[in-house]
Amino acid sequence: MSGVDPNAIFNLSKARALLIDKSQHSLDVLWQILKGLGLSNMTRSDSVDDADKQLRLNAYDIIIIDPALEGGAGYELISRLRHSAGKNAHVPVVLTTGHVRAADVAKGRDTGANFVVIKPITPNVLLQRILWIGRDKRPFVEAGNYVGPDRRFKFDGPPQGSDGRRQSDLTQPLGEASEPNMSQDEINAMIKPQRVSL
Amino acid sequence: MTVVRTFHPEVRLKQIINEGVGVRAEAALERAELELQSIRENCVAAIDGKVERLIDLLSNGDREAFPAAYEISNEVFAEAGVFRIAELSAVAQSLCVLLSAHDPARVPLKAVSVHLDAMRALRKPEVADNLPLRKAVLAELRTLAAHFGDVERKAE
Repeated sequence: MSGVDPNAIFNLSKARALLIDKSQHSLDVLWQILKGLGLSNMTRSDSVDDADKQLRLNAYDIIIIDPALEGGAGYELISRLRHSAGKNAHVPVVLTTGHVRAADVAKGRDTGANFVVIKPITPNVLLQRILWIGRDKRPFVEAGNYVGPDRRFKFDGPPQGSDGRRQSDLTQPLGEASEPNMSQDEINAMIKPQRVSL
Repeated sequence: MTVVRTFHPEVRLKQIINEGVGVRAEAALERAELELQSIRENCVAAIDGKVERLIDLLSNGDREAFPAAYEISNEVFAEAGVFRIAELSAVAQSLCVLLSAHDPARVPLKAVSVHLDAMRALRKPEVADNLPLRKAVLAELRTLAAHFGDVERKAE
């Protein structure tokens, strides 16, 4: 169960979630996973119009959306939400994406979502992202056309109580070279691009 | 010059996640897996239906069907993967790459056809229940896809 600490304690029973996806089966999958994680107050939506309506009427604690619905209109939905003064303008948004066209990668980055989960969705990864939101200290940023969480993740050092991941690193300086330097031809031979047959 | 404003909005989820009696992640994840299994049969039947629709859409080589087929293939990729039908998910993802090419006219129809054959084969009961056979179908698909890619590159 890599990713989530199995002993982590959390309570999602009071969380209200809006699930948006054009595929009813993907909505079923999300619903069942979140039900298992403890959510009971969920709304599902398979169109931008309906999602817009739900967002006007209700306050949510998390929005999980596949932005590819209706030819990518989900990206605009989130961007519009972030620019609004509505009750859900700052709600955490998780984008779920399957295969993404190259042209849509920048849209995903600029839409103002908190995190992205690549499909196929697993309970472990979805829970991990939700717990990340719980710990997320990034400020919201309004800069030009972008409104959303700061897209820069700061490095806060290794997790508390650990020495970091790279324990195999050498502890002593390497010191002076003990062998002659490589010739330029040897270096070129190492980095020369070669065709590989798979 | 762009004016930048930063602020920390109140996020209710951050508060309620630590309120009241919580559950252990391990137990919650086990429950989530059980909940998923309860819809597995319906979802797998739906995936089979989507594979059939893909085959109907693409088997006559109509490139205008690519956008609709891409959407369906993307659903198969995502939903088959959830239920650990990994090879079918991988074939659907590979088909998505083909169908989302910048210029559909350059997509080799034989490569599309090979993907459909692989999907059809993977959903046959005798293959679906046999891991070595599923892996063999995927390996063959990769070989053929690479071959068609080479043919196209040489034709340029």
